[in-house]
Amino acid sequence: MNHFTSTLNQLDKLALLFKELSNGKHINRTGDASLWVALEHDKTLYQSLFKALGFELRFDERGFAWFHTDEISSNISKTSRQLALLFMVIFDTQADAGKPLIHFSDWIVDRTLLSQAFEKHQTLLIAENLDIDALLLLLESAARLGFTQQSRGHWQLLPAVCRYLDHFESLANQQRKDEVQLADTETKEIKE
Amino acid sequence: MEYGFQQLVLLNSADYQRAELPLDDSVSLIAPNNTGKTSLINALQFLLIIDRRRMDFGAHEFDKTRRFYFPSNSSYILMEVSLPQSGTVVLGCVGKGVSHDYEYFAYQGGLITEDFRQEDGSLVTQPRLITHLAQKNRTLFRYNATEFRDLIYGGRRTRNSHEPDFTVFRLEHNSDAQPFQQVLTRTLRLDKLSSTDVKSYLLQIFKRDLPDANIDFKQEWDKAFAEVNAERAQFLAAKNQLNAINKLAEQVEARLVLRGKLIAWCPKINNALAQWQQHYQQEEEQIQIQLSKLQEEQKRQFTKGQELAGQRVMLDQALTELKNKSQQQEELDNQFALVSSRETLEAALNSAQQKLDHQTTLIGQSHNRSASLIQRDITNRKQALQQLQRQKESLADNLYLQLSKHLPPEQLERLNRALSAQVMTLRPEQFKLNTDTLKSLLEETDTLKLPGLELSLSALTAQHQQLGRQALEEQITDNQQQLQSLQEQLETAQQHDQAKIKKHQLEKEKRTCEEALKQYDILLKLRANQATRADETGTTESALKNVCEQLAQSGQLAQALTDRINQQHLALQHLVNKHKIIDRIKNRRTDTDPQFSYLADMKHHPWLAEPEWPLEQLAQQLETYQTNCKTLLEYNQQIELTLSQLHSSGLTKYQYSETADIELAAIINFSQQLDKEEEALDKKARSAVINVTASLHELRSGLHAFQGKMREFNRLISHRRLSDLKIFKIEAQDETQLVEAIDMLIDTAKGIDSGDTFELFNHGSILDNEQLERAKQLLIDEGNARQGLKIADLFRLVFIVAKNEQQPESFQEIDSAASNGTVLMAKLVTGLAMLHLMQDKRHKTRAICYLDEALALDRHNQKSLIITAQEFGFALIFASPSPLTTARYCVPIHQTNGKNNISKTSWQLLEDLDEDSP
Repeated sequence: MNHFTSTLNQLDKLALLFKELSNGKHINRTGDASLWVALEHDKTLYQSLFKALGFELRFDERGFAWFHTDEISSNISKTSRQLALLFMVIFDTQADAGKPLIHFSDWIVDRTLLSQAFEKHQTLLIAENLDIDALLLLLESAARLGFTQQSRGHWQLLPAVCRYLDHFESLANQQRKDEVQLADTETKEIKE
Repeated sequence: MEYGFQQLVLLNSADYQRAELPLDDSVSLIAPNNTGKTSLINALQFLLIIDRRRMDFGAHEFDKTRRFYFPSNSSYILMEVSLPQSGTVVLGCVGKGVSHDYEYFAYQGGLITEDFRQEDGSLVTQPRLITHLAQKNRTLFRYNATEFRDLIYGGRRTRNSHEPDFTVFRLEHNSDAQPFQQVLTRTLRLDKLSSTDVKSYLLQIFKRDLPDANIDFKQEWDKAFAEVNAERAQFLAAKNQLNAINKLAEQVEARLVLRGKLIAWCPKINNALAQWQQHYQQEEEQIQIQLSKLQEEQKRQFTKGQELAGQRVMLDQALTELKNKSQQQEELDNQFALVSSRETLEAALNSAQQKLDHQTTLIGQSHNRSASLIQRDITNRKQALQQLQRQKESLADNLYLQLSKHLPPEQLERLNRALSAQVMTLRPEQFKLNTDTLKSLLEETDTLKLPGLELSLSALTAQHQQLGRQALEEQITDNQQQLQSLQEQLETAQQHDQAKIKKHQLEKEKRTCEEALKQYDILLKLRANQATRADETGTTESALKNVCEQLAQSGQLAQALTDRINQQHLALQHLVNKHKIIDRIKNRRTDTDPQFSYLADMKHHPWLAEPEWPLEQLAQQLETYQTNCKTLLEYNQQIELTLSQLHSSGLTKYQYSETADIELAAIINFSQQLDKEEEALDKKARSAVINVTASLHELRSGLHAFQGKMREFNRLISHRRLSDLKIFKIEAQDETQLVEAIDMLIDTAKGIDSGDTFELFNHGSILDNEQLERAKQLLIDEGNARQGLKIADLFRLVFIVAKNEQQPESFQEIDSAASNGTVLMAKLVTGLAMLHLMQDKRHKTRAICYLDEALALDRHNQKSLIITAQEFGFALIFASPSPLTTARYCVPIHQTNGKNNISKTSWQLLEDLDEDSP
């Protein structure tokens, strides 16, 4: 019991970490250095403790951690869907501008960039009832979830955005595969 | 024979009645689960780990563990080791009884289990052990835990001459003892080896090979910039406060001058003050004497003046009197200019007297009744006559006669009282009579009621008496005669009054003559004295003139005296004032402040000599001195205030100087050298940048060095075949964000000039370049969160695994890298490689390592592992429910009477067969 108590006492960031993580926030190495270091230092302990509480604490080597929930069974919330859209249009705009996606944390996300993105994906965004101001508000929601942070008057994407990026890439891969498969089938059908 | 562990023996310990386990080669320890295999191996921790804090018995608490291994004072854990320097030795641990404590011992010689039994077959108890073994020619050395640890890890500095060298593990570096024990503990429980452990151990193992692996980056950073920032803050504070400092410099200079002056003046003032009292008394006495003399003189002068004034008044009066007499004479002369002698006046008087006497006689003869009275009588007599005549005219018929005819006599009587005689005598044409009405009015006895008027008649008398004609005529004649007589009397009376007026005039004339005679007599007298009087007037005027002159002189003298007295008073007042001032200042001296007592010891400018001043000037000088003292105190206050303002504005560089004067001089000097200070600051900033860049470089090269070492380590483990793994290596992968941030800052620092570079590293500044700013912020945040950056923070260990014909995959946790068996092998290889790295290769001592659940490995892997362990200098002990034939020994655990038992006799020695032979 004493050992358990003293171990718990060592985890001085436990309460804050649990509060942030259980609110759906991603803890990033960039931006939440002290929380990140605490997690990293007692990684196994935190994982066991949160597991006992019914949460799965996941780490990504690119420098972020979060409470994982099985997305298949959970309902994707409106915010989540809109965030996916927001990041998608940002990535798409930056990719078109020739910016390497992997360095997204260096981008300056501000009204100018959002305007470009809005112009490019106007139809899509209007369909979701999103204008530039709504996109800026979304960035604030994203900050609460640990995807963005405000820095010197503009927004910065945090490593946790990798989760969206991974998802986009897998979707793109899947699409490519489907296209190849379709092309193969068509070729086959033509041959036959 | 190979040096190293030979066998492990447990007696009455860990539920073993007796256990004998070979350690000189690979062993397959055979027993069902939960029959004490791990307990047996864990017993080695008492002999090899020793420090109870580092021992690991899983979930079991140490007290329980101790009771389990040492239930009595005849519980033993023994190990035979063959050492190159001392031959075969036994290292042991024996229980001490009910406390379940234990102690260490060692002796030279082989391990013979029977040596620990008494003749009756029972085990020797701890208190008798030394004696008992001595009987067996064994010299036993007892140790406490610390000594024993130093003993077997070669850390013991002194040894008795007859004490053998029991060092089992010779490490390349004694400081490796701790990680070595930690790895060794893990090697006894390999399933618990985690990637965090591996990272930590590797870092400790490679510590010496890394360039200053202990660098506290944040501290370096803070150290480098704290000084520069502090200096810069001081510089800026001084620059911002330059005006205040310049003013301060002026005040300090003025204070130095003032201090010098006061130092010079103080003794003079004190000396003068000592002399003053006597001086004051003498001066006062002199003035008082002088004053008394003058006042005496003034008094005399006053008396004299009064006398003269008296004389003048008298003379003035005499003179006036003489003049008056002359004037009177003059007036009388004028008055009597026409009178030649006294007789003339006497004659006039006599004449007047005679006239008066004649007139007096005339008046005495005249009647006494006055003319006015007689005139009144005449008037009355005339009115009575007129009435009588009217009555005579109306004698025939008048009102009275009418009334008497119509009214009864009493009513007529009453009416006669009310109406006048004139009314009663009215003629018939002058009245109208209504008898009835009149009668009704006269009914009342004493009252006459007229419309609107009621008269009481009781007090009235009858007004009219009706006379007969004769009586009337007699009365008329009588009245006419009396009127005649009265006319004559009136004439006489009028002549008598004029005589009286004349008598008054004559009396007045007589008095005038008498007065004139008197005045004339005076004139005669005046004329007689005229000559004498003229003489007197001359004398008096001369005397008066003389007195006036004397008075004028006396006045001048008195004024002069008064002036002199006033002067003396003034002088006295002046002196008293001075004394008062001196006295006041003396009692309230400003230089009583403690600092004036050591003013001479304080920094000051010498005061140039000045002419001596007389004692009379003491008050002024004292006041000047006093003012100067106050000014000095004010300077002190102002300087102190300015200094405190400078402190609060951040200029604290010299705050802890020995004295405030030194601090002030330093501040002033500093403010005068600001240009040079700015240059020096630039130099320091450059040097700080170099230091920080150097520490960044050091971190970076430390990471490179570690990665180099990891490549060596991988070479050590990569040629061991692990199950079906084609590749197994551990890599230190960069924490990209941090490493990139460091690289970016190093590259930038190289590329830009020094001024900007300082800002680049300065905590407080914000950089224009977004990426640079983020890199810097990341390092600062991480540095803060981790209390400094270490090489360990710059990488993470990943386990790279590739199975045959598959692409390498990297795993952060060794457990998730492959199947259970493969993971066990990987952990074992990693652990053994780490132990191998630490051991002194010149003194190889074979140890053991233990692998539970060994059936998870196929036979091929078992063999491979045994060989790998041998190469690293370890004998492998497999534990499994059924025998593994790949091992050299098969050792089953038996159970007898509820106790575990392993006897040497049940060891099965397996010889390699050539598998290829038929």
